Amino acid sequence: MSAWLEIKDLSAKVGEKEILKGLSLSVGKGEIHVLMGPNGSGKSTLSNVLCGDPMYEVTGGSVTFKGKDLLAESIEERACDGIFMAFQRPVEIPGVTMTTFMKYALNARRRAAGLSEMDAVSFIKRLKIRAKAFDISEEMLKRPVNVGFSGGEKKRMENLQMAVLEPDFCILDEMDAGLDVDAVKVAGAGVQIMRGPERTFFVISHNIGFLREQIKPDFVHILVGGRVVANGGTELMDEVEKNGFSRFYKEA
Amino acid sequence: MTQNTEKRTVVDVAERETKTLVETVLSAETVVSVGKGASLTHYRLAEDAENALTVRLDAGASYTLITLALGTGKLRIAADLAGEGAVCRSDVVYAATDDEVLSLQTDFTHNADKTVSRQLVKGAANGRAKASFEGRILIPYDKKEIDGSQQHRALLLSRDCEIAAVPRLEIYADDVKCAHGSAVGSLNAEQLYYMRARGLDESEARRLLTTAFLNEVLDGIRDEALRSDWEAQTAERIGL
Repeated sequence: MSAWLEIKDLSAKVGEKEILKGLSLSVGKGEIHVLMGPNGSGKSTLSNVLCGDPMYEVTGGSVTFKGKDLLAESIEERACDGIFMAFQRPVEIPGVTMTTFMKYALNARRRAAGLSEMDAVSFIKRLKIRAKAFDISEEMLKRPVNVGFSGGEKKRMENLQMAVLEPDFCILDEMDAGLDVDAVKVAGAGVQIMRGPERTFFVISHNIGFLREQIKPDFVHILVGGRVVANGGTELMDEVEKNGFSRFYKEA
Repeated sequence: MTQNTEKRTVVDVAERETKTLVETVLSAETVVSVGKGASLTHYRLAEDAENALTVRLDAGASYTLITLALGTGKLRIAADLAGEGAVCRSDVVYAATDDEVLSLQTDFTHNADKTVSRQLVKGAANGRAKASFEGRILIPYDKKEIDGSQQHRALLLSRDCEIAAVPRLEIYADDVKCAHGSAVGSLNAEQLYYMRARGLDESEARRLLTTAFLNEVLDGIRDEALRSDWEAQTAERIGL
């Protein structure tokens, strides 16, 4: 029987450039995994391939998620199946408020699960309570998605979307990157609030202090050259902190 | 203030009067005159319509026009900024789908000093529709302190639709501020990916992005019931 999420020999390219070159990884339910690796090693590519970004072309391998062939599903089917990515650079959507956007997204998931749409009152209540947890004002919810927000505000909005949609596989792509000291302190709030036996996280970051203090992972994987070259626990983070990725290059 | 026949609609707003006019059935010709210091807000729904609108603005007059053009049609909007300090704002949304053919022509003439014109035209074409926008701003040589702008933005929603844009500025005066721009493109792939990654299906994401784009103009309608009605009609007519 395969794992909850089983990635086998996955290869993918963008344009003519091969980025993932036979990547394999087994992930269980309720676990927190950290992906580390030098720039260009394939961390973001893996995240986007799992979400179905049409920019990338899968050239080999397989991904099984909850027993299903993930790569055969559309972007929205994967989202409705519980995959969520907090984007490194969330796009701005002028003319669509965060409230409207979340209502559409939540109801799309409910329809896919065979549930009726959520009534307006329950939805607003759910949105407001969760917004509070990330220090997001009601006024911010009425503004167009990400338009005019600072880097820190955008990351809080990604956290909010994760909390509202309650996915069970969450990918956080450099949640702490480009933030000031105070913003970094709350970038991991989503993981802290939402971690539990039913939910798995993939966290990509170069910031070992952030990972150690806020994420507290169960497993750490090192990616080099489009493959996973080492699997372990937090001791791998300690090693990267001391010696960088040099040892792993040799193993790649 | 209005006289109405099938051929011709005449609208006169007297000096210092303030009026709002909603026009949903268009004659072949509409003639509007806004008197000294008067103000007219004019909303028009042009559904499969052929109409030529001419507007004359006296000194200090203010005219705000929002036009929603749907389906096959031919529209012309000509404004004569005849009196000093007249201000004309004309925003248009156009949308065509299937085999519809829609053309919009605007012609604004700054015939007096210190006159201001503002045009925002936003459109979308789907199916095999063909849409065209031709906009002229004319500023005669002896006019002073003129301020004109014309912006056109449009979305191509299918491979087989066409949108043509011809902005024409004819400026013979020196003391002029005049800006124009035109951009025609497809929906943004990154926005679509982001929305689908949250669970919206592709057609829902496309509809939401397109209506958000067009509603920038319709949001200017101050009557809430009218605004939501026209927004709904636009979404439906474009086949999303």
